[in-house]
Amino acid sequence: MPERGKLSARRGLKGRAGVKHRASSRSVSEEITVLVNTLRELAAIRSTAEDAAARILDSAEGLLAFADKEEAKKAEDAILAIMTACGFHDLVGQRVTKITKSLDQVIARHLSAAGKSGKRGERPADAAKLRLDGPGLPGKSQDQAHIDALFREN
Amino acid sequence: MAVNHSMPVLIVDDYKTMIRIIRNLLKQLGFANVDEAGDGTAALNMMREKDYGLVISDWNMEPMTGYELLREVRADDRLSRTPFIMVTAESKTENVIAAKKAGVNNYIVKPFNAATLKSKIDAIFGE
Repeated sequence: MPERGKLSARRGLKGRAGVKHRASSRSVSEEITVLVNTLRELAAIRSTAEDAAARILDSAEGLLAFADKEEAKKAEDAILAIMTACGFHDLVGQRVTKITKSLDQVIARHLSAAGKSGKRGERPADAAKLRLDGPGLPGKSQDQAHIDALFREN
Repeated sequence: MAVNHSMPVLIVDDYKTMIRIIRNLLKQLGFANVDEAGDGTAALNMMREKDYGLVISDWNMEPMTGYELLREVRADDRLSRTPFIMVTAESKTENVIAAKKAGVNNYIVKPFNAATLKSKIDAIFGE
């Protein structure tokens, strides 16, 4: 795995150099167009995820109604697990929102540099002091057991 | 306080999928009297019109977050004792502690499962 990582890093460096060369030959408006198209892709991801989650929930709710009485408890547990897994839509949406906000800021800086208004829906200055990061990266956010311990200790 | 399965429960989340998930889980737990709101402002208005036995709220919503809703609820004499569970992707220590200090009854981090929701509701009502 480390070797694969090193190989990827070498490719990445080459790739990054190549991308940098290509990016510098694009005009600001072309770069903004690329970013706006990226935002559209993200919106499409969110929409697709919503549709998929809705279809899964439709099926799961239908199954609950037909769960065989003898195996009802097992079926019910499995169906509830399917339903809670549909929470992926919420987490995908929150991550997409984070990325969208970052891209909005990049676009605003480009527009500002190009002499146009750089303000795009900035959060009010008196926004909550607590920073909201949304879902953390895998392995870097606290799980329910940690949250429960914090809750007990405070 | 004992749980009353016919009590109205309010789910607050800006993602309809999450509302559907929680509604279905509550239904399996015996709670059929469930309303929904898409953000804190709508939820607060609904709470001022109807007595809810439990609020289950997301944090990240606009224009009013779940944390702001919690603070409004706890500041309102009529609403202040309403049991309130935060269900959120926010898992940083400072957020959990802030919610606890603001008076949240329990805190669930997403993604979660049916057993976790049940245990947090049971913990509030002493089941």
